[in-house]
Amino acid sequence: MRRPIGPLEFTRRTWVRLWLLVVFVFLYAPIVVLVAFSFNQSRRNIVWTGFTTDWYGRALNNASLIEAFVNSIVIALISTVFSVIIGGLLALGLYRFRFPGKPVLDGASALPIVIPEICMGVALLVFYARVGWPTGLPWPLNLSSVIIGHIVFSFPFVAVVVRARMEGFDRSLEEASKDLGASEWQTFWNVTLPYMKTGLIAGALLAMTLSLDDFVITFFTSGPDTITFPVKIYSMVRQSVTPEVNAASTILILFTVALTIIALRLQKPSEGIG
Amino acid sequence: MENWRQQPWVFLTFIAPGALWLLLFFLIPLGWIWLFAVGERQGPVDIVVTWTMSNYAEALQPIYLQLFFKTLWIAILSTVVCLVVAFPVALSICFAPERYKNILLLLVILPFWTNMLIRTYAMIAMLRQNGFLNDGIRGVWTAIKFLLTPVGLGGLMGDQFQPLNLLYNNAAVILGTVYVYLPFMVLPLYANLEKLDRSLIEASLDLGASQVRTFFEVIVKLAKPGIISGVILVFIPALGTFLISDLLGGPDSQLIGNVIERQFRAANNLPLGAALSFMLLYLTFIALALRAWFAARGERSDA
Amino acid sequence: MRPLRRRTMLAGTFAAAGVLPLSRLAHAQEEKRLNVYNWDTYIGSNTIAEFTDATGIEVRYDLYASSDELFGKLREGNPGYDVIFSSSNYVERMIAADMLVQLDHAQIPNLKNIAPAFANQSYDPGLKYGAPYTYSLLVIGYRKSAVTTAPVSWDAVFGEGAPQGRVSLPNDTDIVRCALKYLGKSLNTEDPADIKAAEELLIAVKKRGTVKIFAPDTGQDLLLSGEVDLAVDWMGDMRQVMAEDDDLAFAVPKEGTVLGIDCMCIPKGAPHPGNAHAFINFILTPEVHAAIAEEIQYAIPNAAAVELLPEEERTDPQVYPPQDVLAQSEVPAYKGEAVEKLFEDALTRILAA
Repeated sequence: MRRPIGPLEFTRRTWVRLWLLVVFVFLYAPIVVLVAFSFNQSRRNIVWTGFTTDWYGRALNNASLIEAFVNSIVIALISTVFSVIIGGLLALGLYRFRFPGKPVLDGASALPIVIPEICMGVALLVFYARVGWPTGLPWPLNLSSVIIGHIVFSFPFVAVVVRARMEGFDRSLEEASKDLGASEWQTFWNVTLPYMKTGLIAGALLAMTLSLDDFVITFFTSGPDTITFPVKIYSMVRQSVTPEVNAASTILILFTVALTIIALRLQKPSEGIG
Repeated sequence: MENWRQQPWVFLTFIAPGALWLLLFFLIPLGWIWLFAVGERQGPVDIVVTWTMSNYAEALQPIYLQLFFKTLWIAILSTVVCLVVAFPVALSICFAPERYKNILLLLVILPFWTNMLIRTYAMIAMLRQNGFLNDGIRGVWTAIKFLLTPVGLGGLMGDQFQPLNLLYNNAAVILGTVYVYLPFMVLPLYANLEKLDRSLIEASLDLGASQVRTFFEVIVKLAKPGIISGVILVFIPALGTFLISDLLGGPDSQLIGNVIERQFRAANNLPLGAALSFMLLYLTFIALALRAWFAARGERSDA
Repeated sequence: MRPLRRRTMLAGTFAAAGVLPLSRLAHAQEEKRLNVYNWDTYIGSNTIAEFTDATGIEVRYDLYASSDELFGKLREGNPGYDVIFSSSNYVERMIAADMLVQLDHAQIPNLKNIAPAFANQSYDPGLKYGAPYTYSLLVIGYRKSAVTTAPVSWDAVFGEGAPQGRVSLPNDTDIVRCALKYLGKSLNTEDPADIKAAEELLIAVKKRGTVKIFAPDTGQDLLLSGEVDLAVDWMGDMRQVMAEDDDLAFAVPKEGTVLGIDCMCIPKGAPHPGNAHAFINFILTPEVHAAIAEEIQYAIPNAAAVELLPEEERTDPQVYPPQDVLAQSEVPAYKGEAVEKLFEDALTRILAA
């Protein structure tokens, strides 16, 4: 039984489906290639010379690679949480209040998006060196210099996305809530936050992506004990990409997919209520 | 909008964390770089602030201006392509059945959690002359030639397959930029389209507007804040990129980001690198200010 | 090595016995740690483990992608590295910037193994700051089946006869230095007119459509994947891809070329300078250095280690270039930021043309 396609059911229109297909092929074809090459015998990702799983063993035995991996995930999680909180609050404040110097703060908060990464990396390098930021702290405190940098370039992205989301928010809902006797906090929690949610999720995904991918700023803010996955990868691939790197990436992909599935499963019950 | 004085504590809770973070860990560090831009090098590492304007003067030389314009072009084209690719994706995620929404969203973002360098190298492996795409095209070419030869038309196909040069040119740089920045367009669009009032679209269709007209006059109009934020998040970072043009660009794909990166590293010319970075910053600032000014003027004329 | 080892065991015993007052003494002898900073694929796969076995020093081995990155990171202070590997021109730059510790030759007796030709280079006469680790030449790699005659001169890539769109050149100032060699000049010229001539030559080469890509140290991969037929890159890198494809070869241009020497140095502020000296000395041990050379395929300036290499490798001119070829080549010198700027600005104009 096929229902006729409703006016808003874009996902059931052929051209939209074709478009999605093309986009997903574009997004995933390189991923398929990199997974395939992780099983290649040759040291270089150029010619297929035979099947092997040796690179997985090497990647898993590469202690420094695993350490970089753990560092990256810890940094990404912490910086995402902070970025969402700081960026979300800032977006809300800019949306809600009128105050002197607002255009300045508005513009300044966009600066980290504008500034070339290398410029910001060197700025932080100079800053940490000249204020004498402590080095050699125990893990994970030694990651602080990197995490601070990641939050700086991530939270403006969150703020931009959340602010766009807030445009068109009906402020009278907040007023109604307060008229009905809800406190500022209750109103925020029950009225504003649910509306922001999509923006916050989108912002969090962006912040996570930015943090997991950044190597320029991380390079300049990290020391011998705080190498992250992208910094490691960058130094490894400049000579040429070895299948070991591909194997490590494949493991990372499996890891994120597994986490994602778990997260989706956990989310299910609450969806029923909401 | 309310005046901050009405609720100073709420106001401070919202604004202070961001403002302080920005001041401490961004504006103050950047202050040094700003000083470097008016400084002179003395030896390999020391930079003395002399308030010279020579670095800015150098940054305004035709060669750098020409690179600025070239970068502007590449960034604009990449942003447009990104928008065109991303809009239908964001729209269909929004209107997908509830249970598929999250899965679709994650499917879009997942590839971007794989390191960008590794993805780009995988893309190189696909697109190079002996890559998979050219292999595929070669297969099709051979098949067509095989079919045409008996009818005497084999000559139409040429004697030998010429692999396409898909890499190491400006088109490859744009493709690579789109590949890296796509989620920065999809996610703001999604966040904005998701709250879209469906009844408006239905009303437009009920009133006899065509699908196309509804799309452009209702959906696009309502999604404007999302479009603007997506454009900002793609266009502005694309201005400073250097890695994509380094890896995928051809002999004439040097962008301003490459020059800046070289000044900070190999050339060890921090003052010039700083001046070029701040030029980029001032230009973007002017553009954003103009946008705000036009927006304000538009509102006034609407009222 | 033996006395060092005994000291290690001694310190270990005290630590195990929990004799706390001795911890300050142990500190004076340095904790058993070392932070090494190097390129990837640039050391033997067992070298670090052997060093730890021999000395009890735990090594943290970090990687970076290029010397300029290293310099950019260390210019504001050393975040904790003990031994860094760097190309000779950056060694010279870091000496000028007072960023390196003078090597204590008494702690590195194996420095005597360095061949005299490499012990008195102008960037660091008498090996005061850097212990030479490897050297390499910038060569023209090519695909035998794609060229009619094997290249012998820079003319193969800079001349009018160079194949259209089938050449990859490095995207750093080395390319300007190669062009200077082609023009018969010293690659360490300080004369703006010479550099200008090299710039104009390269712009003409680019305008002719010869260059497919100015590559960031990936010329050998482009050659292997068939993207280009001629690539200018380091000899050691070429040898690595030649092992995978018989159709590849390289030639040293007869006009002479860039001689790159990579050194081990100790940056100022290194937390474990004693261990750093021990590490450098360990690497320069003939057996160790020879094993590294065999694995990474780079030529080493360690005369005693070269003696240990197999005959066919030691005498292969494709691995150890003959004296006359080396004499023709030059080590890029650091002559102050003003001269560096001439080269860098020329490069910007070439890439923008």
